[in-house]
Amino acid sequence: MVTTRSLGQNFRADLATGHNARRRCRRYVNELTALARGGRELIGKDDFVLLDCGSRDIKYVRFANGSLADMGWNAECGASMGFTIELLSRYYDLDYATLPVPEQGFAVTCGVLGMSHIFDAVVNGMPEGEAVARFVRGIALNGYRFAGSPETLYLSGGLCDNPLFVASFPCNLITLGRFVLLTGLQTYLTSDRERT
Amino acid sequence: MQAETMESLAGKLVGIVGVPPLAVIRQLLAAGAEMVDLDEPQVRKSIDLTASYLPRVYCAVLRTVVLNAMHLDLEAIFIDVGPGKCDCALHVSRILQRFCPKVVTTRNTDSTGFGYSTCRCRMDLAEKFACITAHVRKETAPPPRPSCTPTAGFWGVPPRDFSILSLFPETTHVYGWTRCMENKTPADLDLEAHFNPSVPTVFFAQAFCAKTALARHLADLHPCSLYLDCDVTASGSVRAKIEAFLELSGAGKTD
Repeated sequence: MVTTRSLGQNFRADLATGHNARRRCRRYVNELTALARGGRELIGKDDFVLLDCGSRDIKYVRFANGSLADMGWNAECGASMGFTIELLSRYYDLDYATLPVPEQGFAVTCGVLGMSHIFDAVVNGMPEGEAVARFVRGIALNGYRFAGSPETLYLSGGLCDNPLFVASFPCNLITLGRFVLLTGLQTYLTSDRERT
Repeated sequence: MQAETMESLAGKLVGIVGVPPLAVIRQLLAAGAEMVDLDEPQVRKSIDLTASYLPRVYCAVLRTVVLNAMHLDLEAIFIDVGPGKCDCALHVSRILQRFCPKVVTTRNTDSTGFGYSTCRCRMDLAEKFACITAHVRKETAPPPRPSCTPTAGFWGVPPRDFSILSLFPETTHVYGWTRCMENKTPADLDLEAHFNPSVPTVFFAQAFCAKTALARHLADLHPCSLYLDCDVTASGSVRAKIEAFLELSGAGKTD
C-alpha cells in the first residue's frame, strides 16, 4: 500500500478510479461504475443497496433483480462528506471510538448550518463530544435517506472505520470496508484477461 | 397585442421566453419581427451579472433570460407565464420590465398536437434539442422523422448546459417538457409526465426549478432511472453520474 502523496508528479497508473485519478492514469474508471461492479462482486446478491461514504462525496447504487435500478452521487454538499467529520474530531480532539451513540441527531440539512448546531449546543452547555456525536448521527441519517432508506444497507468507504458513524445508522448495516472500488477495478482486469 | 403594435416590430429584435402561443408566433412572423430565444445563452457575459436583479440560488434558465435581456437591444419580450412555463417566469416578467419597454405576458394553453417525431428519432441528442428549440420560433413543427428503437431516455427541459447531452447515444428518446415543446403543447401535463418504463431514463430538471418535484416523482415510479438536477454548468459529478448510469444500465454509447 502506497499513499498517493508519495508518488512522483510523473506517475501514471495503468488503471485507476477516484477523485483526481483521471489525470494520473492511462485508463480511468468512473467511481460509480467501480462501486457498482465492486459491490456486485463482494455482495453477490441480485438485490442490494450500497452506500459509499468518502471524505469528499457520498454515492450509492441500488440493484434490483440483478440490474441497476437507481443511483446517486452527491459531491457538492458538506452535510454528507467524511472530511467534515474528520475536521471536527481534530478541532475538538475527539476519538470516535469512545463516543457513545446519542439518542438523537441534529438535522444536518446543510453542513454549515449543521455545524452551527454544534456551536450553539456547546454554548448552551452540551458536552462537545455529545454535540459532535449528534452531528455525526445527523450525517449518517442523511446518507441513509440519500440511499432511499433501505432495511439493509451495505456501507463502503473510509467511514466504515468510524464506530460512531457506523452505529448511527437506523437500519441493518453491513460494512464492506474502504476497498470496494478497488474490487470494482479488479473486475475490469478480469474482464480484460477473459477477452484476451 | 394590438395589430398596429405588432406591425411596429417589423425588423426589430424581439425576445421570447418559454413557448408563447402559436397565434402569437404567427403574428410575430407575419409582422417580420426577428425572434430570439431568451431561454438559451445569447450573450457571452457572466451569469453572475444577474445577481443584482435575481437571487443567485435561482433557476439558471431564468437567470439566462435576464442576462440576455440586460445585454440585447430588445424591442419587446413575449414571455409565457401560464401552465406551460412556471410561476417563476411570471415573477421574472416583472423584472424584465427594467430592461425592455414592452414585456408581453402570454398563457399558452394550445392543445393541438403537432407530433414529436424528433424526440423519437435517431439523431445526436444535442442536435435533436437544437432542432426542437429552434422550432419554438416557427409556426411549423420539425419535419417528420422515422422513429428508432430507444436504448436510453432523457426526460425534462432543454438543459442550460447542452454539454451533458453529448454523453447520450443517438438512440436516446426525449420525454417531458421538451416533447411538449416539439408538440407545441407546453401545458400538456399528461404528455409531460409520460415515460417508457422499459427504457433506462435520466430524469433531468434545472436546479431550483419547480419541475424538480415532477422529475423526482417520475424517477421514483420508473424501474430504471436516474434523477438529476444541474445548475448553470454540469459539474464533474453530474457528468460522471450520467456516464455511470448509462454504462451500468446498458444504455451507453456503442459507437
